[in-house]
Amino acid sequence: MTGALAGYQSVLNLVLLNCGLALSQFVVLRAGVFSVATPALASIGAYVAGIAALSFGAGAAAGLLAATAAGTLTGLLLSLPLARLRGVFQAIATVALVQIVLSLALYATDLTGGANGLNGIPKLIGTPELLLSVAATVYLLGSLGRSRIGHAFDAIRQDETVAVTLGISAVAHQALAFALSGAIAGLTGGLMAYHNRSVIPEEFGFSMLVTVLAYVVLGGRRSVLGPLAGATILTLLPELARPLADNRLIVHGAVLMLVIAYLPHGIVDTLQIARRRRMTAAARAQPVAKEAANGPA
Amino acid sequence: MIAQQLLNALVVGSVYALFALGFTLIFGVHHILNLAHGAVFMWGAFVGLYAVTLLHAPFIVALLCASLAAGLLSVALDWVAFRPLRSRGAPEFSAIISSIGAGLILMNIAQRVSQTRVMRYPFGTFPIEVYTIFGLRVTLLQLVIIGSVAIIVAALFAYIFYTGFGRQIRAVAINERTASLLGVSPSRVYFQTFFISGALAGAAGVLIGIAFNSVSFLMGEPYMLRAFVVIVLGGLGSIGGAVIAGLLLGLIQTMTIAYVSTALSDAVLFSLLFLILLVRPTGFFGTLRMERRVTRE
Amino acid sequence: MARLELEGVSRYFFGVQAVKDLSMVVPPGRVTGLIGPNGAGKTTVVNLITGLLKLSAGRIALDDRDIGELQPHQVARLGVSRTFQNIRLLKEASVVDNIVVGFHVSDSTSFLAQALGLPSVRKTRAALAGRVHELLAQFAMETYAECLAGELSYGHQRRVEIMRALALGPNVLLLDEPVAGMNDVEAHELGAIFRALAERGLAVLVIEHNMELVMSLCDEVYVLESGELICQGIPEQVRSDPRVVEAYLGAEVC
Repeated sequence: MTGALAGYQSVLNLVLLNCGLALSQFVVLRAGVFSVATPALASIGAYVAGIAALSFGAGAAAGLLAATAAGTLTGLLLSLPLARLRGVFQAIATVALVQIVLSLALYATDLTGGANGLNGIPKLIGTPELLLSVAATVYLLGSLGRSRIGHAFDAIRQDETVAVTLGISAVAHQALAFALSGAIAGLTGGLMAYHNRSVIPEEFGFSMLVTVLAYVVLGGRRSVLGPLAGATILTLLPELARPLADNRLIVHGAVLMLVIAYLPHGIVDTLQIARRRRMTAAARAQPVAKEAANGPA
Repeated sequence: MIAQQLLNALVVGSVYALFALGFTLIFGVHHILNLAHGAVFMWGAFVGLYAVTLLHAPFIVALLCASLAAGLLSVALDWVAFRPLRSRGAPEFSAIISSIGAGLILMNIAQRVSQTRVMRYPFGTFPIEVYTIFGLRVTLLQLVIIGSVAIIVAALFAYIFYTGFGRQIRAVAINERTASLLGVSPSRVYFQTFFISGALAGAAGVLIGIAFNSVSFLMGEPYMLRAFVVIVLGGLGSIGGAVIAGLLLGLIQTMTIAYVSTALSDAVLFSLLFLILLVRPTGFFGTLRMERRVTRE
Repeated sequence: MARLELEGVSRYFFGVQAVKDLSMVVPPGRVTGLIGPNGAGKTTVVNLITGLLKLSAGRIALDDRDIGELQPHQVARLGVSRTFQNIRLLKEASVVDNIVVGFHVSDSTSFLAQALGLPSVRKTRAALAGRVHELLAQFAMETYAECLAGELSYGHQRRVEIMRALALGPNVLLLDEPVAGMNDVEAHELGAIFRALAERGLAVLVIEHNMELVMSLCDEVYVLESGELICQGIPEQVRSDPRVVEAYLGAEVC
């Protein structure tokens, strides 16, 4: 009984960590930045937190704060050069960044433990801390989404020309998106280090990049609920059935292809758009109904 | 010693060029960043290996089989992953996501087929002969690699720049709609470019497989990532640029490994990519128009 | 109140002249018309003013401030607002959300206040909602508030775009074919709104093919052909100018 419960709890923890990564990816995509730097930023957060605990005996709060700060700073620095680029070029540059961070992590053995990574990190957090941090992130991003910044993000993503002619600085907002993405990824990386009790460099490579992208594509890029739905579904699917777990790549691959072709806004956003569409139809029908009611006078 | 390194650089670089040519061809003509190109390359290596081990085909036959199979696979990829998006006029983001998905599926199938093993060519598939030319030790294999790449690249240039079909491809590259108004059938052009691109990747896969005598379902990813460096350095979409940049990449990588550090070679390569994107995102050899920020222009 | 002034403005595309040595004034309190055959360079003029294109030569000033080098978002923040000839709405967003984006510059809902749930948020939000509602009422679009912008009819989409441009709180309003695709009744309803805006002190520039509207609405009309100013004056003068008649092949103007 307790075994089953512990099993559920570890799955829940995994879902929460993946939600964190998905939220980091979501912020940049919402602002129309095609950055896929989340694994690199999370890796930096994980190493900072791990080293803080191992070498400096930092507690959870201090370590996570350092990880978040490191992620934010990296994101901000990254935004300076990258905000000038767009689309495919941003994507390629951030893929390069993921590779650079990965190979530096493997190279700087003294600091990072090289290919062995960091091990023996004390277990500093559990489910409550994970829940708290995901909830806080969602709350902050939700508030942000309803503020003028969120509206500006949406405008830049949909039509940058319109956005700038309305006085929105695309460069400044995308820099903010980079910084936020870095903060969330850094925090999540720190949580991973303290939860898994280790940092494995290869975890933060191209396959994480693809997986995290899949979360957001499946869930949606506009509503903050999108990445949560995407991460939850894709994390749980392999747990539900053994064949799905053995063919995880096929599941992710098929989800990416089918969703982008037939549900391009993702699950959550598609539902919201469908709701609006019904309201539009109702509104357009209304004046006609009125005329009919008045009848020929 | 340095001459020997230069020879190695030429061998590695020519295979990079071969791989990147197909990648850049698709981007140049159709503006699709095909991230499944690495998986097509890997399947080329698989087919080549199976042709030798299962059918006992001579090496040259295996090379041709692999090119043909990878070419057809690439065409199938276009039908399944990109054509549904084209008919809806989806943005470039969608094509990238869809190709990532297709790549994952192809990798997973290869993993199942090979049972996650690294496969090797049977002893004696390729005669080990060493010649001494101008004091350089040159193996037959190295000569064959350089020779085949030179022939394939020459044939590709002849096809694209001196035939009617090539003219159609170039017309579509400039403007697909105008080209189709002038009587060019876009679907035939898609068939050709994807076939050529896949065939080049397949040939590269076989050459790499036999050069390192190692074939595995994971082999596509590192080449895919390095191809980013090649196509950005050479100018996205530039065929001539890809050849020069491929050779240059071979040189940089060989020199880094020989004189700096093996562990750092990836960090150097990808830092280079990052820097090029910041300094000159359109590359040094191409003249591609690039999507720009909305500013006064 | 602001006065927009163009002095000797030129723009070349790869050696081809799109706009040549154009000088014009868009004064506050007036509706200024810019007409000309298709391809005459009218939209290029709007893109030059709003910072989407670099000037090849000349000067653009808002009151006495040179705005010819500013980036688009900086031009917008000085109160220069526009609509697009090929309607550009945020199609995935509702009508209200499209308008709210227009309020970006003046909206003071801070993220921190929002996150902390400060009471000031409710006040600024209510004020914002009130201003959105005023605009909707002015354009008789209340019914469509929550509709998807991309699914509205052509005429309604144009209205949303104009509301969004007004949300910026502009001093200068540049309207690129604002009544294209509307019937005469709708066109004149909008014309009345533009007139009222000018009377409130806005400098309004209208690019339009609907000659009847231009002639009845504008205080001053500029006529472009192949990027060059061929005529300028009050509507009656322009209507009878032989060069203008020739440019239009005598079709619509007479």
